[in-house]
Amino acid sequence: MPTRKLVTRYEDDLALFPDRYHKLGVVAGVVILGLFPFLAGAYGLTVAHAGMIAVVGAIGMMILTGFCGQVSLGHAAFLALGAYTVAILGGTFGWPFWLALPVGGLVAAGVGLLVGPFALRLEGLYLAIVTVGLLFLVDHLLRNGLDIAYGKDYLTVPMHGWFVDDPSGLGGFRDDGLLSGAQKLYFLFLALVLGTAYVSKNVQRSRTGRAMMAVRDRDLAAEVLGVDAARTKFVAFGLSSFFAGIAGGMYAFAHPIVTLEPFGLTMSVGYIAMVVLGGAGTTFGAVWGALAFTLLLPLCEVAGEHLPFPDAFSSENRAVILFYPALCLFLVFEPLGILGIWLRIKRYFMAWPFRY
Amino acid sequence: MTEFIQYLVSGVALGGVYALVALGFVVIYRASQVFNFAHGELLAFGALTMVWMTSPAVSEEDMLAIGAPEVSGLGMPWFAALPIALAATGILAALVERVALRPLVGRPVFVSIIITLFIGALLRTAMILIYGAGAMPLATPWDPMGQFNVGGAVLDYTSAAIIAASAIALLAFFALLRFSRLGIAMRATSSDQETALALGIPVGRVFAATWIIAGAFAALAGVCVAVRDPYVDATTGFIALRAFPAVIVGGLESPTGAVLAGVLLGVAEVMTAGYLNDALGDMGRNFHIVMPYLLMIVVLIVKPYGLLGQRKVERL
Repeated sequence: MPTRKLVTRYEDDLALFPDRYHKLGVVAGVVILGLFPFLAGAYGLTVAHAGMIAVVGAIGMMILTGFCGQVSLGHAAFLALGAYTVAILGGTFGWPFWLALPVGGLVAAGVGLLVGPFALRLEGLYLAIVTVGLLFLVDHLLRNGLDIAYGKDYLTVPMHGWFVDDPSGLGGFRDDGLLSGAQKLYFLFLALVLGTAYVSKNVQRSRTGRAMMAVRDRDLAAEVLGVDAARTKFVAFGLSSFFAGIAGGMYAFAHPIVTLEPFGLTMSVGYIAMVVLGGAGTTFGAVWGALAFTLLLPLCEVAGEHLPFPDAFSSENRAVILFYPALCLFLVFEPLGILGIWLRIKRYFMAWPFRY
Repeated sequence: MTEFIQYLVSGVALGGVYALVALGFVVIYRASQVFNFAHGELLAFGALTMVWMTSPAVSEEDMLAIGAPEVSGLGMPWFAALPIALAATGILAALVERVALRPLVGRPVFVSIIITLFIGALLRTAMILIYGAGAMPLATPWDPMGQFNVGGAVLDYTSAAIIAASAIALLAFFALLRFSRLGIAMRATSSDQETALALGIPVGRVFAATWIIAGAFAALAGVCVAVRDPYVDATTGFIALRAFPAVIVGGLESPTGAVLAGVLLGVAEVMTAGYLNDALGDMGRNFHIVMPYLLMIVVLIVKPYGLLGQRKVERL
C-alpha cells in the first residue's frame, strides 16, 4: 500500500479526498449513511438524531478548544440559546424551521462574541470559570425571562410536530408515504452535520485555522509572528457558539418540549469530554468522539441495569460509575484519544508487511 | 440599621464558608497548577462522613420500625469525630492527586479540568453508593436554636461557630505557611518546582501534604455547610460552584485574596438577597445566586488576574 500519493499539482494538495482510499471511504460512507434510516428502527433513528446533534455541538467545541485552545465550560449555554431561539421563533412567531435555525445560531454567536473580550484578557482557568459564570447567567435570564413572558418553565417546539408522525402536529413535513418524519429529520440533520464538518475541516486548513493553532500553541509567540491573536480568538468564539446554537436548534427539533434542565454544566463537560475522547485538534476527533460518547453512555446505562447496584441508583448514576473511570483511563493512557488509535491502525497497514 | 447588621453577620458566616472552600482551591492550585473541580465532592464527603460518625447507632429492627431516613452511624462524640472526618477527607484528596493527577503533569490545562470534573462526578456517585441518596441531618453539639445579641442584631450559635471555625482554620493555615518548615517548602514548591527539587525539597511529599490540607479545609467547610442548612446529601458539593467567583476575584495564586474575596462575596450575596432581589421584580428571583458571578465578571474586566493575583510575565 503506498503511503501517500505523490503531490505534483496544487489542486492535489487542496483536495479533501486526495487518493483512492479516501474516495472509497466516501462511497462507503454515503452508502451506509443513506441506507441507515431505512434499516434502523425508531430507536435507532432517535439515537442517530442524538448522535448528530452531538457531532455538530462537538465540532463547535473543537473549533474553540481543539483548534484555538480556549477552554470553555459554557458551551451548554450557547446550545440553550439556540434551542430557545428556535422554539420561540417557531412557536410564538410561526417562523419556518429553515429560517429559525440559522437565526438561533446567530443569536448564540452574538452572545459568544460578547464573551470574546474576556477571552482576550483571560487565559486558561480564569476563562474556564468565567464561562461557568456565563452558564449560570444565561440560565438565570432564560429561566426568569421565560417565566415573565410565558408564565411557564418549558417551551413547546412546533418543528418537532412537523417531523414526527403525530397527527396533532402542525401540518407540513409528516409521513407522505415516501419518508417518515423521523427519516426526514435524519436527512436534515445529516445535511447539517456534513455542512458543519465541511466548514470545520476547511477552517482548519485555511489561514484562520492555522492562526488558531498558532494561538493555541503559544499566543504570545503567534503575536510576535504577526498573527492577530485577538481577532483569531474572536473568530473562534463566534464560529464555535454559532455551531453550538445550531446544535441547540437541532436539539429543539428533536424534542417536543424544551426545558433548561439538560443544558447544565454536565452537558458542557460532556462536550469537552467528546473533544478529548476523540482526539483534540481535528474534525475527525470531534465526529468520532461525539459518536462514541452518545453511543457508549446509553450502552453503559443498559449494562448497569444488570449489575448489582442499590435501588437508589438512577440509570445516570450507573452510567457514571461505569463510563467515567473508562474515560479517565483513556485520558491517562491515550492522550490522542480515538484519533490516536486510528493513527496506529493506519500506520500498521501502511507499513505492512513490516512491523515497527 | 439592625437589619443591615443582621445581613452583615449572616453574610460573614456565609463568606467564611466560601473562604474555606476558596482557600482549598487556591492551596491546590499553588502547589500543582490544577483547579480541582472535585473539591465540592470532597466537601460533601467530609460532611457525610461526619454525619455517619456522629449519628447514633441504630439496630436493624429499630431502623425498620422508624423507617428509611434514619441513619445508623458510629455514635461517636462530635468533637472526636471532627478531626477524623478532616483526616479522612485529606487522605482521600491526597489519593486523588497521586492516582489521577500526577500522571497528567505536563498535559494541556483542559485535561486536568475534565479529569477533576470526572472524578467529582465519580465521587458523587460513589457517595450515593456508600451513604445512600437521601438527605441526612447533622446534629450540632450546641443548641441549634441558641442566640447571642450583638449590637441589636441576633447572632445564632451556629453562625458564630462557623465564623470562629473558619477564622481559626485560616489563622492556623497562615501560621503554618509562614513559620513551619512545611510551609516554607510549600512556598518554595509553588514558586518553582524544579528549583525546589534541586534544593532537595521532596516535592512529591509537599504535594501530598498540600492536598491533605486542602482536603481538610474542604471537610471543615462541608461540616459548616451541614450545620448551616441541617441536611446534607451527595449534591451538597455543588456549593463549591458558588465559591468559584471568590477564587477568581481574589486571584488564583493568593490565599489572602481568596479569604478576602470569600467574605466580601458572602456579604454581597446576603445583601443582594436582602435588598436587591425584591427591587428587581420577577427578574430578581434567586438573583443573589448569580450576583457573585456578576461581581466576578466586573472585577475581571478591571483586573484580569483578580484582586491579589500575580500578573503573569511571559518570556519567549
